[in-house]
Amino acid sequence: MSDTMVDLSRWQFALTIAFHMTFPAITVGLAIFLAFVYGAYLRTRKPVYLQIFRFWKRIFAVGFALGVVAGTVITFEFGLNWGPFASATGPVIGPIIGMEVVTAFFVEAGFIGVMLYGDGRVKERTVFLATVLVAIGTVLSTTWIIAANSWLQTPAGYKIVDGQFQPSDWWQVVFNPSFGWRFPHMLLGVLISAAWMITGISAYYLARGREQAFARRTLSLALGVLAVLLPFQLDVGDHVAGSYVGPHQLSKLEALEGNWDSTNTGYNLFVIPDMKNGRDKVKVTVPKVGSWIAKDLSGNTPTPGLASTPKDERPNMWPTFWGFRVMFYGSMLMFAAVLTGLVLRLRRRLYSTTWFHRFLVWLTPIGVLAIIGGWVTAETGRQPWVVYGQLRTADGVSHLSTGAVVFSVVGFVLIYLILALTWVAYVVRQVRRGPLPSDLEPTLLPPAEPVAEMGV
Amino acid sequence: MDDAWFAIVMLSVSMYVLLDGYDLGIGTLLLLDRDERRRREMVEIVATAWDGNETWLILFGVAAWAGLPTAYGVMLPALYIPLIVMLFSIIARGAAIELISTANDGVPFRWGLAFGLGSLIASFTQGVAIGGLLSGVTVTDGVFTGHTWDFLNAYSVLTGLATVVLYATAGAAFLRLKTEGPLRDRAGAAGRVSLGFTAVLSLVAALSLGATPTGTHLSSPLRVVFFVILVVVAVAGGVVAWIGFGRRPDRLALTGVVAAEVAGLLALLDILVPRVVPPGLTIGEAGAPGATFVVLLVGIGLNIPLVLFYSWYAHHVFRGKYREPQLARPAGLSASAQALRPSGPPAGVPSTTDGAVS
Ligand code: HDD
Ligand code: HEM
Ligand code: HEM
Repeated sequence: MSDTMVDLSRWQFALTIAFHMTFPAITVGLAIFLAFVYGAYLRTRKPVYLQIFRFWKRIFAVGFALGVVAGTVITFEFGLNWGPFASATGPVIGPIIGMEVVTAFFVEAGFIGVMLYGDGRVKERTVFLATVLVAIGTVLSTTWIIAANSWLQTPAGYKIVDGQFQPSDWWQVVFNPSFGWRFPHMLLGVLISAAWMITGISAYYLARGREQAFARRTLSLALGVLAVLLPFQLDVGDHVAGSYVGPHQLSKLEALEGNWDSTNTGYNLFVIPDMKNGRDKVKVTVPKVGSWIAKDLSGNTPTPGLASTPKDERPNMWPTFWGFRVMFYGSMLMFAAVLTGLVLRLRRRLYSTTWFHRFLVWLTPIGVLAIIGGWVTAETGRQPWVVYGQLRTADGVSHLSTGAVVFSVVGFVLIYLILALTWVAYVVRQVRRGPLPSDLEPTLLPPAEPVAEMGV
Repeated sequence: MDDAWFAIVMLSVSMYVLLDGYDLGIGTLLLLDRDERRRREMVEIVATAWDGNETWLILFGVAAWAGLPTAYGVMLPALYIPLIVMLFSIIARGAAIELISTANDGVPFRWGLAFGLGSLIASFTQGVAIGGLLSGVTVTDGVFTGHTWDFLNAYSVLTGLATVVLYATAGAAFLRLKTEGPLRDRAGAAGRVSLGFTAVLSLVAALSLGATPTGTHLSSPLRVVFFVILVVVAVAGGVVAWIGFGRRPDRLALTGVVAAEVAGLLALLDILVPRVVPPGLTIGEAGAPGATFVVLLVGIGLNIPLVLFYSWYAHHVFRGKYREPQLARPAGLSASAQALRPSGPPAGVPSTTDGAVS
């Protein structure tokens, strides 16, 4: 297959999956949050919880729908653009994603209608139950999809028959070597990004002096959750790099640290790699830190470099290094913000420090950016393999005409651009308009006449 | 074992046609209606169910991928253009549904158009894909080696059009069930017209199937008997639907359409099996290894009843005629109306007359 074909299909896949990822990054956490606030409302009957539920439900609804349609695209893209990949891996990956469909997607899809449109039409308990089930569904989705992707990263429990991967031990397939660290990392990641979304929007209201009761409650909750989750995430992230990437995918580690020769004991803050000549054009390094990260406090342990990987098995250092830096610098910024929040909270200034609120508004998308950065690292860093060490990406591409793929790439770019803009505009509009006044009770009207009889 | 799995694949595609068929059809019908309230009502009826309906398409795709990986890897590239266009349309309409139903009232023009055209084009391309598949796919060594435009011919255009009118008929039948007043009356009239077109186009499609590489040869007498019975059921379903579009009970039309759809799909299978990708690829050749099937049948097969339950439940909760939710809308009409109302009993009181499952 020609290189252009491979590149086009890769760009298309990267674009469509990154677009999909943006939505689960928010909706998984929001679903849990919505279940929590609705539960709190049912227990306490405080109207502010209902107000929170109704407001966030509107943002969730559109985000969820976009996630669903974008996800549908990916399922088919495996076959459309990566036909040979699909027939080689179908027996292993297919059942995992199949389990995701029946245990997660159908649950989400079956109950989302009740969750979103049940308010005022069915009993409150039914709405609550539906919300909880949707939240469970989204977490299951995450579990299965990470199992599938982790198998591609660290394949296990299979045999190859006539060029096709066939399962020999399902336990090993699902609980493959990278799943154990990647799953908690991913799950924490999506919870964290949703929490930033909530934090940012609540901070916007506080900065403007609007919706105080509503915004204080959500800001406090979201920042509290972040203060608990972030330290865990930093530790888990360290294990992802040290316990899985290092031992199983050394070339990815070499690329994400931005070294060529294996002598650097420092940590690279900034590199401009030169892939052709195997060196860095520009490199900014802090001494010794690289060694500390490798758990050698003497500062003498060097980080391995990409030159030790054969040329035709090297991933592209650009996206791998920078994807990782986006995630890493993002984490540092998040950590700083959460610490500041803690200090302000202890000094009882959390709700009155306007500069901090303004700063938090800027951090609204930071979780999503870290997630995209992390995925760019994970996926570009495993190149040239699509099934690590076993099947090259270039061998997985379908026999298609270039024109057909150009057509689909252009189509996706246009449609997703429009939808991304629409989504941002929609969220901004919802936020500007603000939540419903909290004194509106749910269903107080007398039973309605059927619409048609009211002379519609 | 692979036959049992094939049955599940076929179940998913049939459920998809039955369920998403009606909601795509409603989208197409929306293009023909200019009245804001009626348009909004159509969207609201779709909004509670489209996601669940579409999930059957995903199950179909994944089930085919897992159980018939070679067929999947061949079929999709062969149908690249229609399927990509179908995906574009599905994206547009899915986003539109949610954006319309979070709008205050009415149907914003752009999103109405996206929903309607998206539905229309998705229906058409699905039909084209089926027609393209039936007209045969070039396969060498288990890989698609034909050309991009192989799928496009008179036959696939015919099946595309037939699918559009079939779904529109199903949409009209569903509207009969869910609505009252002018919308219900208009659905009756539209349903009859599209039913007429469906009958003619499917007849032509069935007769010209003989000219495609798939052919209409029925290999055993048993198959012939089945085929005749199924055709009779399909025709009877059509007649029932025709009657149902003119009189009560309102579920009559939908019953007829569903019967006709099921019979039609089974008749097609009767001709195809054991081939999955015409002209030559069979279930045995396309299938996955045994270890996969065990997991598929246990893990996914056993979940099927549950999944059917979710689909049933999603419709059951919102059963009966469509009503506007009895809830303060944030702005616009009902919100101002709401503001004028005295406050009522505490929120804990069970809320609606619709009284879903307790
Ligand atoms: C808000 C989200 C978030 C945050 C704060 C972090 N990560 Fe992360 N990271 C992800 C979200 C994420 C992710 C999106 O969830 C990834 C992409 C693939 C995956 O499984 O998880 C990921 C992947 C990922 C990878 C590549 C793994 C692979 O190849 O699959 C490494 C090495 C790290 N992470 C390491 C870290 C370190 C050392 C962090 C902290 C200092 C860190 N991550 C913070
Ligand atoms: C089960 C989950 C996933 C599977 C099975 C999967 C599989 C694949 C496949 C088949 C490709 C195309 C071949 C290639 O270029 O490597 C690919 C590329 C890619 N994927 Fe994933 N992926 C998954 C999750 C994700 C997610 C969630 C993201 C990010 C948001 C992502 C980002 C990318 C990117 C950026 C590429 C392009 C890499 C390149 O430059 O080639 N992937 N992935
Ligand atoms: C290659 C990878 C992926 C594929 C094939 C895929 C496929 C899909 C599909 C088909 C849907 C629509 C389901 C429906 O109809 O309800 C969906 C939704 C969803 N996916 Fe993905 N997905 C992928 C990556 C991911 C990842 C990495 C996550 C991790 C969090 C994820 C989480 C979700 C969630 C939570 C939903 C529910 C809808 C939403 O919240 O937006 N997916 N996905």
